[in-house]
Amino acid sequence: MKILINPMNESTAAAKPAAPRLDSLDGKRVVLLDISKPGGSVLLDRLEHHLRHRYQVAEVIREKKPTFAKPAPGSMIDRILAARPHAVIEGLAD
Amino acid sequence: MRIAPLFSLLPARADAPSLLFFFETDCPTCRLIAPYLNRLHEAGNVIGISQDSEGATAEFARQTGARFPVVVDRDWEISKAYDPQTVPALFLVSKDRVIEEAVVGFDKASLNHFAARFALAQEIAPEFDGNPASKPGCMSRHLEPIAGGPDAVLLETQPARASRIILDEAEDDYEYCMRAFGDALPVVPPTAARVERMLHGTVLSADALVAKIPPCYGAATVEKVAANAVMAGCEPRLLPVLISLVRAACDERFNLHGIQATTHFAAPLVILNGPLRKELGFTCAGNVFSNVARSNSTLGRAFQLMLTNIGGARPGEIDMSTQGNPGKFSWVIAENEEVSPWEPLHVERGLSAGGNGITLFGGDGVRGVSEHTARRGTVVLKAICATLATVWSWRVCLAPEALVVICPEHAATLRRDGFTKQQVREFLFANTGIPVRAYDDDDGGEGTQLRASYEEVVIGGERCYRKFRTPEAIQIVVAGGTAGKFSSVIGSWATGPRGSQMVTYPVE
Repeated sequence: MKILINPMNESTAAAKPAAPRLDSLDGKRVVLLDISKPGGSVLLDRLEHHLRHRYQVAEVIREKKPTFAKPAPGSMIDRILAARPHAVIEGLAD
Repeated sequence: MRIAPLFSLLPARADAPSLLFFFETDCPTCRLIAPYLNRLHEAGNVIGISQDSEGATAEFARQTGARFPVVVDRDWEISKAYDPQTVPALFLVSKDRVIEEAVVGFDKASLNHFAARFALAQEIAPEFDGNPASKPGCMSRHLEPIAGGPDAVLLETQPARASRIILDEAEDDYEYCMRAFGDALPVVPPTAARVERMLHGTVLSADALVAKIPPCYGAATVEKVAANAVMAGCEPRLLPVLISLVRAACDERFNLHGIQATTHFAAPLVILNGPLRKELGFTCAGNVFSNVARSNSTLGRAFQLMLTNIGGARPGEIDMSTQGNPGKFSWVIAENEEVSPWEPLHVERGLSAGGNGITLFGGDGVRGVSEHTARRGTVVLKAICATLATVWSWRVCLAPEALVVICPEHAATLRRDGFTKQQVREFLFANTGIPVRAYDDDDGGEGTQLRASYEEVVIGGERCYRKFRTPEAIQIVVAGGTAGKFSSVIGSWATGPRGSQMVTYPVE
C-alpha cells in the first residue's frame, strides 16, 4: 500500500450544458463581443450586417474587451447581462 | 446528457472511459463490490473515491485487496459534485467526460455490463459465485446530516490539507504518477514520507495557502507546493524559493492567466539574483539556459508542474499554445553578478543589494546572437539590435518588449568601452528599427496596419520606424559562461497593463 499526497487542484468543476439554441433570430437582441484581436471587427461587422438585414434581429449591441490578453472586466459582463440579450456571439481570434 | 464534474484524478480528456467508484469503508456492500472492480481495472480505468479518512481507506483497500487508485474525498467535495444518493455508486465516464451510466448498490448484471463495456471477454460476476445477485448499499456520506448537512460546522473547520491517494503495491507508482501528474516525463512519486521531508524546508504550515494559480485558480497550499517539488526532484532547501516564486507568478501584473492560455509561445522565464544563487547551487554561468544544475532544472520543473497540476493549464485543454515552448519543462536562470559590470537586475528593480530576488518575464524563446570579431562595444550592440528587430514579428513596433541576456565576454567589451547599463539600453533603443521601405508594399502583413502610430527616425542613414516604445522596454541581464561571445534576445508576449508585466519579488 503506497500513500501519495495529491499534488493536483482539488476543487471540483461542475460542467454546465450549453444554453438552449434559439429557434429563430427574428426579433431577438444579440450582443457581438469583440475580444479586440486584429481582424475581429472585420468578421463582426459582417455578421452585424447579416443579422440586421438577413435575419431581422431587433437589436445588435456591440461590446469590445479592453484586451484579448485578460478576462473581460466584471463591469462589461454586468453590462451585457443587464441588456438581457437572447444571444452573445464572441469573436474569439484573429 | 450530463458532463462529469472534473476532479483531481479525472482527466478532462482521456484515452479510455473511466469508472468512478464512490464508497464508504464501513459499508458491507462497498466491501462486497470492491474485488469485482479489480477485474474491471485490469481492462480499464477504475478510480476509487473514498468518503472516509485516510487510515480507514488504507485499511479498506488492504482488506478488500483493491488494486485501483483511490482518492480520499476530503470534505466530500467530489461526492457533492456527483451527488450519489447511496454507495457503492458507479459512474461510467466516457473519454470526452460524459456520464454515460450511473448505478448504485451491488448488482451483478450491471457489473457484467460494465465488463462488456470495458471489452472483457468474460463476465466478471457469475451467477453462482456465492454472492447475491444484488444488494442495496448505504446512504452516501455527504448526505448524512453530520457530514454534508447544515450541522456540519465542526467539519468545515478542518484545515485544507491535500487529500491522499492510495495505490496498491502492485501498481507501478512511477508509471502511475507520470500518467496522472507528469509533464510527459517521469516524476518522483509524492509519497507521504517524501512530502513530509520536503516540508522540513519551510516553517510555514502545510495547510497555509500560498496563492491561487490561474487559469483555474487551484489552491496552491504549502503541502501541494511540496508535493510538486518532490515530483520535480527538488531538495527541501529549495522549497522557500519555490513558495516565493509561486507568489510572484500569481501577481496580477504578470497575468499568468493570459500567459498560460495564449496560443503564443510565452512561458514564464525565472531570473534569480542575490546570494541564494551560490548558496543553493543555481548556475549563472555556462549552459545557463540548459541542463547543468539540479537547482535550476528542478525549481523550474516544480513550478511548471504546478502551473498544470494546480493551475490547470494542461496542454491541449486550456494551454492552447500553437507551438509551445521548451521552457514549459523548466526555465530558470540566474544572473552572473560576479562578472557583470552593472548592478544586478533585482537591485535595478528596487530590491536591496544584499537580498535575493526573483524576476519573472513572459518570454517566447532564446534567439542567439553571435559576435566574435567585433573590437568595439557599439559593434556588439548593433548585432544585438538586428536580432531585437525580429522580436514578435519584424514589422510590429511599439508593442513588444525584450530581455537581452548579455554573455560575460560581451559584457567585458562593454565595460572596457565605459558603457553603463542605461547607456546600453539607450543605444539598443536608439539603434533598433525597421526600414520604412519594408512597409512600402502595403501587403497587409502583421504590424503594417499600425504604421501611422510608429515614430520615424534615421538609423545608419536609413529611414526606419523605431522598434520599441521606450528604452525601458528592453531589460538587460548578464549570464552565461566566460568563454564564447554568444548573447541572446528573448521576446515578450503582450505587454504593459493590457498584457504581462515583468515582476520582481524578494525571496522570503
